[in-house]
Amino acid sequence: MSAPPRLSTIFLAAITTLVAVLLYSPLFVPIVSSFFTISHGSVDWSSPTLSTYVALAENHDILVALRTTLIVGVCTVILSVVSGTLLALYYHGRRSGRSLLQFIIFLPFLMPPIISGLALLIFFREIGLERSLLTVVIGHTVFVLAIVYRTVLMRLQSMSRTLVEASYDLGATGWQTFWRITLPNLSSAMVGGAILAFALSFDETMITILVTGTQSTLPVRLWAMMRLGFSPDINALVALILMFTVLLCALAARFLIPRQVATERS
Amino acid sequence: MNQNTDLLTLRSVSKSYGTVPVLHDIDLSIRDGEFLTVLGPSGSGKTTVLRLIGGLEPLTSGEIRLDGQDISRMPINRRPFNTVFQDYALFPHLTVSGNVGYGLSVRHIQRKEIARRVAEALELVQLGRFADRFPAQLSGGQRQRVALARALICQPRLILLDEPLAALDLELRRQMQVFLKSIQREIKTTFLFVTHDQEEAIGMADRICVMEAGHIRQLGTPHDLYYRPNCEFVARFFGENNLVAGKLGAVQGELRSIETALGRLVCSISSQPHLKAAAEGASAFAAFRPEALHLADAKDTDNHFSGTISDLAFAGSSTVATITAGADNAAQRLRLRVPSRVDGSALKSGEAVSLSFAPHEGHLVLA
Repeated sequence: MSAPPRLSTIFLAAITTLVAVLLYSPLFVPIVSSFFTISHGSVDWSSPTLSTYVALAENHDILVALRTTLIVGVCTVILSVVSGTLLALYYHGRRSGRSLLQFIIFLPFLMPPIISGLALLIFFREIGLERSLLTVVIGHTVFVLAIVYRTVLMRLQSMSRTLVEASYDLGATGWQTFWRITLPNLSSAMVGGAILAFALSFDETMITILVTGTQSTLPVRLWAMMRLGFSPDINALVALILMFTVLLCALAARFLIPRQVATERS
Repeated sequence: MNQNTDLLTLRSVSKSYGTVPVLHDIDLSIRDGEFLTVLGPSGSGKTTVLRLIGGLEPLTSGEIRLDGQDISRMPINRRPFNTVFQDYALFPHLTVSGNVGYGLSVRHIQRKEIARRVAEALELVQLGRFADRFPAQLSGGQRQRVALARALICQPRLILLDEPLAALDLELRRQMQVFLKSIQREIKTTFLFVTHDQEEAIGMADRICVMEAGHIRQLGTPHDLYYRPNCEFVARFFGENNLVAGKLGAVQGELRSIETALGRLVCSISSQPHLKAAAEGASAFAAFRPEALHLADAKDTDNHFSGTISDLAFAGSSTVATITAGADNAAQRLRLRVPSRVDGSALKSGEAVSLSFAPHEGHLVLA
């Protein structure tokens, strides 16, 4: 294949760069400005400082919200990984009923969160379940289950069927085959799914606002802070969350994309 | 170890997937200690035979007997057989020794004992240095040997091999054939080897079972199959062959004549009573190998015919000539194989030649 003409390459590169800058530069503004003081609603570029981070660390409400978020995230991850994996195992290889189940699992993920949140709210009220962190965890699990289920199912489907056959063939029981062959081969998909589930739970705002009791998670707290006005420690918070999310995504990618192992040939 | 006792017997075994039949009433006996190859084109049902024996698929009807005992319903993990899968099916999360020791560790054998036997098995397949590698770090041939070691460590009564050499390149495949055969001799275990490659089958098997369309067409030694095929399919499938259609003529002792487009040909029917019994005038084929065909000289009294060389192909050690023989309206394409010579072939393309084959080198198959 011959190289494309030079002019069009430059043109394409320019367009790509422009789109990337337009789309993603807003993400970097809070990071950069979190290192400067803000006075009278505009950033003072002359004095770099960490004062916004200090202010954030002294904000008791934020720290409580952060702890709540972590508790909700961990519970959601445990619940969704266990149930998502079980569902994937149960429906792998079964034709009947699978598409219906998949539809139900994906519905809350694809529906507008406000609809899912309202549906859950009405449901909790009908069965008389008090709004609390428990309802938040249930709401988040319903929302992220699709991701875990899909991730584990994809791995199951890419696993060679002969691995399980070979295990039986070598004398293993069904239980041994599950613990020693199936589960270890699913583990990285489960970890990847867990990280994605945690990231989604960490961000989730709409459903949380609707089903939470008196406690707020970090995004909900952030939302409340925004309504009261633009305070400088929000920049620091956004910067931290952004970095944390990037880290999580990088981790998830590491677990979900198969490792490249150099094949040695002798 | 007695090669004359049957280890495993399949009795009128049939298998269908849904309404699609893949095996029709198979009868097959595997002798203790033999290297039996199941040979057939894709879709012949050969892999299904292996999967039924291994217990990976249930039978539709019939039974499988091991030492005379019906094991048709015995679960796969209780059968004393182990399989070498076509894709090797090595466990990617376990090391080579983890893979090889798996069959022992699921039986709760002591660690020390496992380590000793794993080392022994790896030594046998010449992979001692690779015990701590993961399957992804091995070459195709090495993975293949790990799969073999993993299967034989459990000391099965029968090792089932499902086209294990299909993914290897030609040179490696030849080496592995020799290697497999030597291992089989060393551990004195029965091997059931499934392949579509007849060269592989000839090279390794004590006996070959030729399958086609869910039926067993012939079971015998490679020599039997090559020189005494019992049907047109085997005659065509197993090695290069010239087949000329005709009507059976008279029996003359161990020989029988056949009227063909090339005139009357005389072929051997020794130790094939069904050919002696066949009615005169029945449709049949005269079959003779390309290497049996030669340029006729004065000594040849039977099986004379003339033809024209239409093509010459140098194939290394031998040269193959394609010959058009017989009358224009019933022209036959024949192949003649002669040893190559450094000073060029005696044959010339376009040349008219007189050809012959010895009656005992030709055989008959019923159409």
